[in-house]
Amino acid sequence: MKSFFWENLRIALSELWAHKTRTILTGTGIVIGIIAVSLMSTLINGVDGLFENSMKFLGRGNLYVEKWPWFGDEDWWTLRNRPRIELEMADEILERSEYALVVATERGRSANLSYNELSAENIFIHGVTANYPEVSTVDVEFGRFFTGSEDRTGTQVILLGSEVAKTLFPLENPLDKLIFAGSKRFRVIGVLSEMGKFMGAFSQDTQVLIPMETFNKIFHGPWGMRRITVKVPEDHVEDAKEELRGVVRVLRGLKPGEKDNFAVNQQDSFRQTYQGIKMAIGGTGLIITALSLLVGGIGIANIMFVSVKERTREIGVRKAMGATRSQIQGQFLIEAILITATGGLVGLIVSTAVSLAISKFLFPASMSFGIAFMAIGLSVGVGLFAGLAPARKGAKLDPIEALRYE
Amino acid sequence: MPLIQVKDLYKIYQMGNVEVRALDGVSVDIESNEYISIMGPSGSGKSTLMNLIGCLDTPTSGDFFMDGVNVATMTDDELAHIRNKQIGFVFQTFNLLPKSTSLRNVELPLIYNGSIKASERKGMAISALERVGLGDRTHHKPNELSGGQRQRVAVARALVNDPAIILADEPTGNLDSKTGEEIMALFDDLHQQGNTIILVTHEEHIAAHANRVVRLLDGKISEDVLTHRAK
Repeated sequence: MKSFFWENLRIALSELWAHKTRTILTGTGIVIGIIAVSLMSTLINGVDGLFENSMKFLGRGNLYVEKWPWFGDEDWWTLRNRPRIELEMADEILERSEYALVVATERGRSANLSYNELSAENIFIHGVTANYPEVSTVDVEFGRFFTGSEDRTGTQVILLGSEVAKTLFPLENPLDKLIFAGSKRFRVIGVLSEMGKFMGAFSQDTQVLIPMETFNKIFHGPWGMRRITVKVPEDHVEDAKEELRGVVRVLRGLKPGEKDNFAVNQQDSFRQTYQGIKMAIGGTGLIITALSLLVGGIGIANIMFVSVKERTREIGVRKAMGATRSQIQGQFLIEAILITATGGLVGLIVSTAVSLAISKFLFPASMSFGIAFMAIGLSVGVGLFAGLAPARKGAKLDPIEALRYE
Repeated sequence: MPLIQVKDLYKIYQMGNVEVRALDGVSVDIESNEYISIMGPSGSGKSTLMNLIGCLDTPTSGDFFMDGVNVATMTDDELAHIRNKQIGFVFQTFNLLPKSTSLRNVELPLIYNGSIKASERKGMAISALERVGLGDRTHHKPNELSGGQRQRVAVARALVNDPAIILADEPTGNLDSKTGEEIMALFDDLHQQGNTIILVTHEEHIAAHANRVVRLLDGKISEDVLTHRAK
């Protein structure tokens, strides 16, 4: 049986070589289909990786008490008219909540920074409590974080995001230098490690951290972000969320039946929304690309029927010489698979090149072995699917009729 | 025991309401190393008989023993094996694969033989081509050969698997008379070397090469005689 495989491969190769143009044209359908499928999968993988990378900025066991929900379809004006979050609630929350491990508060707004002639514009000034490192993934690359007493006394110290540090101090060591944020002077006490972008958009490295009390002293007024971040045990996030809602309702004096006038956000809501979008876009994309493969397959089936018809007489001769049905069937199947597998291989090479380009210029999207394997498997499968009916037709031909065919 | 034993063979086609008896009770024995012509006008059933002897078809009823094995009840794939091992076909229209060289064409039955190694095939094919006088045309394609040479390639292909029977269907029908005689001389030689040859023809002078002539008419054997050559 093995010798027939090589024989059939040899026949298929010479047939395809004899009809080069036809082979290339039909194979192109498969090439396009495989490019589409493997690029689509690669992109989904890339976006997945990007998402998971971003998610680590939001601790899995973190709950965020904020004015605005991250996702939802509530009326904008209702949300707009909610009272702003009283950060003073933080102590009460820590006291009343069973689950709360750490309660930190955050405020933020943007301002321009400058050091000598160098300036950095629109930098996110992040006012945080001294326990902020416990609820986030910030890491001090060098220098130190501020202390609780520096926070309480409103000391004007600052930690720079890695990008900010590079902009203001391209050559110098930033530690202990005095920089301006707005009209106030701050002493640099540390530089944060590089963290990358959140969801590929908001860079975490262009922020600066200052103590909460310092922030309060300098930036008055209701503007900017403010939230209470509550760290809870990761395996009790849902219970803790319910409890936290209750605590904040009590602190806000809401009556039963009244709607929440605050939001408790968490990483999972990001995850759920993302999964929904991924399913919608990725799923539709995969269906469309699979359709393109199907169209390619139909093209192959069509050309194989033509090939069987053209070679009716050859089939008759082979049968008279003792070829069995399965040998004839194998001959045409191998021919179809050879077209699709070659097309798949070419498609894979092209999409690997494209995904390399994407990950170089856009975002990380690497062609995995799994996808390569799938693409080759798919193209062989399409060949099998497309070749089966024509091959069976050829195999079933009556040798007497076939030999008489003109 | 005869090489081929045909007993009460019927082949009946149903064409709408009309029953066509292509073979209507044919019995014939063919011995090993016979040289036999099957003759008859069109519609006499000689093509049907040839297809049955060539194991390309199965009868409606009756027995057909080849080398003691009943072929009449075999499946498609079993028939394919019998064709491969026992029968060498020579066709009127040569039926060579146009894109393959003489060597590849002659190798074809060996490929489907299944028990011959790829390395042995080439030598066997070359020696078969040498037997028909085409040892120097192994790498020519059919369109680079004359009609007579093409038919020689076909004869080499029929010989290469050392079959029990060489079955030739109007082997000179597409050749001029001189080339036809050369091909017939080749068959005469092969018969001398011990091969069994069955010729299907409607030309008397071709049939005269054989030792025995079987005539068919309306699906029945009308005459079965030895020619002067047999004496």
